[in-house]
Amino acid sequence: MARVIKQKPMTIIERLYIFEAMRGLWTTLKHAARGLFRYEELPTISYPEGQPEVRNSYRAKHRLMLRPDGTPRCVACGMCAAACPAHCIFIEATQSDDPRIEKRVMRFDIDHLVCVFCGLCAEACPVDALRMDTKQIVFEHRKREDFVAHLADLTDWDPKDYPEDAQSQMAPGGTKNAEARKVWGMEVK
Amino acid sequence: MDIIESKSWVEWLITIAKFAFCFVPVLYILLLIPMERRGAGFMQDRQGPNRSYIKVPYFGRIRLLGYVQNMCDGTKLFFKEMFAPKGASKFLYYVAPAIPFAIVFLSPCVIPWFGPMVFEWGGKVVTISGSILDSDVGILLLFGFSSLSAYGAVLAGWASKSKYSYLGSLRTSAMTISYEVCQGLSMMGLLVLAGSFSLTDIVSWQEHHVWGIVAQPVAFFCFLIATIAETGRAPFDVAEGEPELVAGYHTEYGAMQFGLFYMGEYSHICISSFLVATLFLGGYSVPFVTTETMQAHMGGSLAILCWVLAFLALAFLHMMHRYSKKLAASRQSNKNVILQEYKLYKLVGWVAALVFIAAGVASWMFYTPEMAHTAAGVNTIGTALGTAAIHLLVLVVKSVMFCWVWIWVRWTLPRFRYDHVMNLGWKIILNIAILNLVVTAVVAKLLGGN
Repeated sequence: MARVIKQKPMTIIERLYIFEAMRGLWTTLKHAARGLFRYEELPTISYPEGQPEVRNSYRAKHRLMLRPDGTPRCVACGMCAAACPAHCIFIEATQSDDPRIEKRVMRFDIDHLVCVFCGLCAEACPVDALRMDTKQIVFEHRKREDFVAHLADLTDWDPKDYPEDAQSQMAPGGTKNAEARKVWGMEVK
Repeated sequence: MDIIESKSWVEWLITIAKFAFCFVPVLYILLLIPMERRGAGFMQDRQGPNRSYIKVPYFGRIRLLGYVQNMCDGTKLFFKEMFAPKGASKFLYYVAPAIPFAIVFLSPCVIPWFGPMVFEWGGKVVTISGSILDSDVGILLLFGFSSLSAYGAVLAGWASKSKYSYLGSLRTSAMTISYEVCQGLSMMGLLVLAGSFSLTDIVSWQEHHVWGIVAQPVAFFCFLIATIAETGRAPFDVAEGEPELVAGYHTEYGAMQFGLFYMGEYSHICISSFLVATLFLGGYSVPFVTTETMQAHMGGSLAILCWVLAFLALAFLHMMHRYSKKLAASRQSNKNVILQEYKLYKLVGWVAALVFIAAGVASWMFYTPEMAHTAAGVNTIGTALGTAAIHLLVLVVKSVMFCWVWIWVRWTLPRFRYDHVMNLGWKIILNIAILNLVVTAVVAKLLGGN
């Protein structure tokens, strides 16, 4: 059924236009005065010298979380690849050296030219191995192949960049790495 | 030879030097372009153009608060190729943009830039009028010059052999004619009060009675609207309304030909704002102070002027300081470059503030009444020149304010539809103006004025 939208008729003051025009002029004057006298409060970021604030909940470039010994947490279950609507994740599994773990990942590629940054892969991961909190929002490369992030690329991150995340600190170089190694009880290769 | 000997050399010097005022509209273009671009930016919460820079030895990349961008754009426009569309009437096509720009050199001749200078020189009392041409029909001359600039648009539209240009020029001619009627009639009330067509007389009437804006508020509004319409700026820029006519009469123009139209429009704004300031805001007269008072206390007047300028310099410094503090705290990667640039502005600001304060103190302390007046009670040349300088500065401030009104209105109000523009002109403003004229005339007669 068609919905009839009743528009409010203009009042006589509005129809005279001059007063409404004055109101508009007052608004623009306020903005102009802010620009002139409070230039630093303008919302413009002078990119690329100034960078926008990116929250860590922003779905940016992916990274693979690491175990305390530095191997990727990924168990090559393929859940992320199954969840991916753009089919941009390519995983090859191989046998793990650790008797407690069945599989480890041999190839883990994410094609960022195809990725839609929906975040379903990070949600699908059963071991919290895949995250999208790197805050890297700029992808610039010379060749198409360079847009594909490989395993080495995804695991190459520094715990110092994630000071508030306890899970990241368990990776080698993190503040809780030694503690976590003790909990694991063995040197896993 | 008689004509040369009729005046002393100082009189000749000042009379010839006054011709420099012909270049004021051209100088105003340099002011108006950055004012428009950055003003528009600020109104839309943008920063406006601020990227281009010049490299300077110590201070690095100097952007002159964004002014360099305008220089770059002007240079680009200047060096572009000039071309004419096929089938265009070549002569008229190339002449047309020059017309509105050439007119602006004539218009300033009749504007009174300062009060009549009266001083003693060589034992004689010399009087020099404030305008280049002190005509009894100054305002009519000004209207004549100002309406001539429509020829540029009309010829451009006709000569470029394009339908859009032609329609644009038709609209321009129709609108210019209709709004000139409104303009002329809305200021008639003021002319009735002042009793003269001479701009000098109108200003001196305002100086001795009240400003035109107080005496004739309705006329002021009508005149302002009609003048904005006559310069062809938004919201009345139907002649170049881009949704309908691409760019109106200058569709086929590029490079500096377009630049001439652009500059012609800005100079027209300048002249119009000078006209509004002269007619309705007391022209060169200083608010609340008569010229005689000012001349009697020349030292104090100059001191106050200097201190006002010093205050502005200090305010600028304060804003600079606040902004650089915020910038230094930010994580912007080029902040050191910018802070180095700001050192120059701060240096200039401090020098200006100190010089103005010192000049104010000096004129307060050392300017004695003996320097202001000769024994006969006539001004010395120093006082006359000082008065003229203050008058000129006041007029410039007022006109810059009105230039801002032009920009302000343009970036606030959306464009009117063409028939609305015509309705507004012929059915509303014209009637209000005529009514205002009649009422003013009756009241003036009853109160025993002119």
